[in-house]
Amino acid sequence: MKRREPTKRTADKAEKEKEKEVFAEISLDQNGTDSADEDDIVDADGNLIFGPFETVDGEEGEEELPEIIPDYASDDSDEETNNTIGNVPLEWYAELDHIGYDINGKKIPKPKGASKDALDEFLDSMDDPNAWRSVLNKLEGENVVLSDTDLDIIKRIQSKMIPEKDYNPYEPTVEWFSSQTETQPLSAAPEPKRRFIPSKTEGARIMKIVRAIRKGWKKTTEELKEEKEKALPKFYDIWAHSDPDAKDKHMHIPAPRMSLPDHRESYNPPIEYIPTEEEVEEWKALDPEDRPQNFIPKKHPNLRSVGAYERFVQERFDRCLDLYLCPRMIKNRINIDPESLIPQLPSRKELEPYPTALSVVYEGHEKRIRCFSVDPTGKWLVSGSDDCTVRVWEVLTGRMVKSWKFEEPVQDVKWNPNSEFSILAIAVENDVFLVNPGVSSKEVDEVTDEVFANIWGKESPSKIDWKKPSAAASALGHRVILNFSKNVTTVVWHRKGDYFSTVCPDAGGAAVSIHQISKRQTQNPFKKSYGLVQKVQFHPKKPWLFVATQRYIRVYNLIQQDLIHKLHPGVKWISSMDVHPQGDNVLIGSYDKRLCWFDMDLSSKPYKTLRYHKSAIRNSTFHRTLPLFASCSDDGTLNVFHGMVYDSLDQNPLIVPLKSFKAHEVVDSLGVLHCEFHPIQPWVFSCGSDNGAFVLKLFA
Amino acid sequence: MGKIKKKGESGAATNYISRNMAIKKLQISLAQFRRLCIIKGIYPREPRNKKKVNKGSTAPKTFYYKKDIQFLLHEPVLHKLREIRSHQRKINRAIGKKEWAVAKLLESQRPEYRLDHIIKERYPSFNLAVRDLDDALSMLALFATLPMHSGVIKPSTIKNCARLVTEFQHYVMIAGRLKKVFVSIKGIYYQADIGGSDVTWIVPHPFSQDTPRDVDFRIMATFLDLYETLVGFTNYKLYTDLNLVYPPKMKNETLDSGLAGFVVETVEGKGFLDGIKESETSDATSAPNRKARKEVEKRVKNLASTIGKFSDANAEQEEMDEDADEEDEDKDIPSAIVEPTDASEMVPSLKDAAKISTTRTASNSHKLFHSCVFFLSREVPRNSLEFVIKSFGGKVGWPETSGAGAAVAESDPTITHQIVDRSMAPGETRHDTRDYVQPQWIYDCINAGKLVKTKGYHIGENLPAHLSPFGGGKEGYVPSEAALSAIAASKGVTEESDEEDAEKDAVEANVMEADAEEEEEEDDVEDDDEEEDENKGPLDSDDEEQVYQAELEAEAAGLSFTEYMQKKDAEEKGLSKKKSTDTAGKKRKISAAEAEAAEEKELAKMLMNKKERRLYGQIEFGRKKKEEEAKKLLDRRVAHQKTEAKKAKETKNAEVATPAKAPAAAAKSPAAVKSPAAAKSPAVTKTPAVAKSPAAATPKAAKSVKSTPSKSAAVTPGSSKKARKA
Repeated sequence: MKRREPTKRTADKAEKEKEKEVFAEISLDQNGTDSADEDDIVDADGNLIFGPFETVDGEEGEEELPEIIPDYASDDSDEETNNTIGNVPLEWYAELDHIGYDINGKKIPKPKGASKDALDEFLDSMDDPNAWRSVLNKLEGENVVLSDTDLDIIKRIQSKMIPEKDYNPYEPTVEWFSSQTETQPLSAAPEPKRRFIPSKTEGARIMKIVRAIRKGWKKTTEELKEEKEKALPKFYDIWAHSDPDAKDKHMHIPAPRMSLPDHRESYNPPIEYIPTEEEVEEWKALDPEDRPQNFIPKKHPNLRSVGAYERFVQERFDRCLDLYLCPRMIKNRINIDPESLIPQLPSRKELEPYPTALSVVYEGHEKRIRCFSVDPTGKWLVSGSDDCTVRVWEVLTGRMVKSWKFEEPVQDVKWNPNSEFSILAIAVENDVFLVNPGVSSKEVDEVTDEVFANIWGKESPSKIDWKKPSAAASALGHRVILNFSKNVTTVVWHRKGDYFSTVCPDAGGAAVSIHQISKRQTQNPFKKSYGLVQKVQFHPKKPWLFVATQRYIRVYNLIQQDLIHKLHPGVKWISSMDVHPQGDNVLIGSYDKRLCWFDMDLSSKPYKTLRYHKSAIRNSTFHRTLPLFASCSDDGTLNVFHGMVYDSLDQNPLIVPLKSFKAHEVVDSLGVLHCEFHPIQPWVFSCGSDNGAFVLKLFA
Repeated sequence: MGKIKKKGESGAATNYISRNMAIKKLQISLAQFRRLCIIKGIYPREPRNKKKVNKGSTAPKTFYYKKDIQFLLHEPVLHKLREIRSHQRKINRAIGKKEWAVAKLLESQRPEYRLDHIIKERYPSFNLAVRDLDDALSMLALFATLPMHSGVIKPSTIKNCARLVTEFQHYVMIAGRLKKVFVSIKGIYYQADIGGSDVTWIVPHPFSQDTPRDVDFRIMATFLDLYETLVGFTNYKLYTDLNLVYPPKMKNETLDSGLAGFVVETVEGKGFLDGIKESETSDATSAPNRKARKEVEKRVKNLASTIGKFSDANAEQEEMDEDADEEDEDKDIPSAIVEPTDASEMVPSLKDAAKISTTRTASNSHKLFHSCVFFLSREVPRNSLEFVIKSFGGKVGWPETSGAGAAVAESDPTITHQIVDRSMAPGETRHDTRDYVQPQWIYDCINAGKLVKTKGYHIGENLPAHLSPFGGGKEGYVPSEAALSAIAASKGVTEESDEEDAEKDAVEANVMEADAEEEEEEDDVEDDDEEEDENKGPLDSDDEEQVYQAELEAEAAGLSFTEYMQKKDAEEKGLSKKKSTDTAGKKRKISAAEAEAAEEKELAKMLMNKKERRLYGQIEFGRKKKEEEAKKLLDRRVAHQKTEAKKAKETKNAEVATPAKAPAAAAKSPAAVKSPAAAKSPAVTKTPAVAKSPAAATPKAAKSVKSTPSKSAAVTPGSSKKARKA
């Protein structure tokens, strides 16, 4: 039991005596009723339960405080009341005239005024001077007036102070148990004898164990271990009963072995394996993972001078990591002969004739040659250039025969494919000139002139003006001048030589126009355009027109005025187009280096897309009679292919590359601008620059 | 219509499990999972389609086979690991309470797991276990060299590692399984043939290993745990298959004595190894078997002698072999030691070498050092050399300071070779009866499969390069030394006296090969022009190409040009040279057709589709890279040889200047014949070539104008090359 320390506050003894008497008199059951001013709560034995209460009033101070009994009394939860109803809701008794039962089972009557209404309560509170400090004790059904001590405690608790006013938290400690060890025994009795002689009982117990061990009933730890080992030795023939041909677990991937060392790793490698200083630096600069080998080869003069390899542990550790951390996967190594990847093609010798070498160079143009065309007889070559001239060359000799000067660079020039006429269509800026070059035989010239003479008498329904050239121009051979609103880029003849078509890409719906010489009329077959028209081409046999926009090729039937096909080459920008003489195959060149071969019977997608040029393809063309086709590109090459089309539908066209000419130099990233075959011979023409000059070349 | 399949509920998605999921499923820590994976040999897999497995994501994630993890659930080691963990907690608690006695008791009762069932499970047959021996042995060999008291690894473990490796080496030695040895800068590689499959392991050089900080020794220790068990069981199997007792006894408890410290006994209790006798048991037969076999052989021999004498060399050799065996049994003295010849030129028992190289089989290849007795001086790697020499049937001794158990003492007169790595101290006595060679000789002999000449291996001499018996690098380059040994092997050892010539030939052949390659490149680009050259004979000395080539060869061989030509004429029948010239002639003839074919190939490539073209490009890229590497090495070699030849020439010139020595030098080698006049001659022969080259170039240039532009462009580099040459 803890004693309360005597407080420093010690009042005179007389007062204390008086207080004691007072305490003795007070009983708990009177506490609530008769002494509202009594502030100390005392239990049945008369002991003070709440210490602080005694300190509230100065005059109640005392020297010896009553001791606290740490029993139920110190717990205020079972503070005794008369009412024995326990912890039940009080409204159960609201309608009754008693508030509960006392310890003898008798009803405790409800006090007067217990069922007061609010007004009465208010009035009472106004009357009662202690109303502000009274609290309703619901269990007893009466008001309890808080004493000054209570109020003081409440105040102290509110201000977070220790409730007891006189409690000193900083009292000096009292050592109940001394921290000092005593040197002298407390008792002077001598040590008993039993502390100096072995215990007999213990001896007996030990002997029991010894006997057990001797007799083998009990085993020592060593023996146990030995026995265990004997039962299952550390190593034994584990594969005694195994199948010698047993396989790995299903799906097991054995770890790849470490690669065996090569000469490089030798302590004394051949001299060529020793890296130079630069190579060592290079090796050091590499990331450790990228290094071809993880050491620097070094030559040691003798075995004695070889030191420890400092990364040995690290390498073993890395191997360990690889073994348990690396995801494993079976990869099939491609063991393929690279030559087998190259397609097997028939020998070039079987596919002769084809152009093999440069034979004629046509020199004379001063600026870049944009276009040229070969006369249907194959004797003459006409070329148009940026130097505003159109020149006619003799094919075999390379001699320039004729020349016309224009005001603007020549965009396109085409020879009429009908050998009965001799007409040149020349596109210059916004105009198209029809010219009789006058290099053919006399009869042909006469027939041609007659045709042109006849057209002027007829009524022309066309929108475009067909102008008759001046006399001076007529003398030069000019026969008709067609004037367009926009730039003319392409002129294409129909095979019969009466119709020709022109393309003005910027003219929108009127981009493509078809002209008929005999009737002196011009038609615009399309109301609107589907994009920038790049090229047009007549079908060699049917009344069809191929129109190439940037991405697609549309094939129209001009008689039925209907779209027949739409070809999807899958290229970004079509640069050129040619139709096979039999009409079923189309060749497309594109600025994105691709050459597409369409078999129109097969699909609207290309039968073959080849990408062998290093830059944009400028032109691709078929030979009129032989199974040849060619393409030229800005990389300066001219490639000739064998392109055989079979009559049977079940055989695909055969494409064999025959020759690649390094035809022209690349100047300002422009190489070979145009290529065309000779109409009869296996010859191909190209135009471009060579040694600074702008020339045409014939490869035969 | 069938039920719509839900994603991730069948197929690949259910076959794999991610690492985190696996850990959660097993309810263990990552460290314990790692330990289990290492022991059980469970490794992550790379799913064929990562997206299907990883819920459509391609984020890097580790996947295991679900089955593997499910098997782990029933793993006894897993339960043991749990037990160990709870037991450790008990110990920790006891220590926390300072109940030392309890802690000690608990410590002694710590549960242990055994790995034998895992060994059995992972390697269902012995052959599969042999497959994984590479890593195991290398690891054990490394740990055997770690410092005893570094605190990283328990000393007992280190001892055990050393013991297991030595036991294995002992087996290899007894059974004669060693095939190849390679001294690298990392350590010494050994390759042995165990049950038909090769086991290669590396033993670090005998220095204390540096233990880096970023190495997790816990992981290594787990591996070590497994490998110790594996090698232990393998050793047991190997020993018992030879009818030997496992584990072999040790003479003394320290492992310093290495191989010599073991006493191997047969099951019958007979000592298996007693000094040199171990070499007699050539194959895996027990002692009684051996005796029986010998008797049978003797009878067969008698029979043969009654029928008639064999002229066959092989039979003779066998007989000699047999005699040697008998002699050994009687006296323990190898046969070849009886008559040691001149120390510098002595090649011990060339008969043996010939025999070995011609009839090299598994059974008798390890009798290579059968007739040699070695003594290892200080500063040579004793353990390695002892292992290697004994594996090939040699007898070996070493000084007391290097350890106990030497079979011979230094003063023993039977010693044929003394292995030294430092020139002799002035006080030391040099025995005339011995050859003093550097350790590399032993290793080179083993890899060559015969006793190579000791010339070049003596102390103070520049050692020949030590080549890897496992082949060269991936670039496919064969150094001339390797080519030389290949030639020697093909020729056999019958032409021992011409060995040096063969060497020279090989070097020449190598250099010429390089030239031929260059030639080839040029030929590729030239096409029509070659037709002109065809008319001339292939050996026409006017041809500037050939002159150049010949000059190059001469230069590389260290001869003057005229000399070289004379020599060439004289030795026209020289095998390699003739071949190369023949091929050169042929090449010239077919070059036009070849050019045509090459062009056709180039054109055909146009028709390849993108996929094929890329693949082709990759293959070609790899091939070219390899070729470049090889060419670089060859060029470096040729350059080196040229400088060497120049140096030699200079020194010889100096010798010629002192007339007294000149004849001696001339007698040594034809290359030494060198006079100032001869030195000038190449310049004289060169002049016509120089005069000719522009003339030769001009018609070509003229022609190129006519020919196709592609050709003309292609010719230009070739002609410029020629100009450079001229």
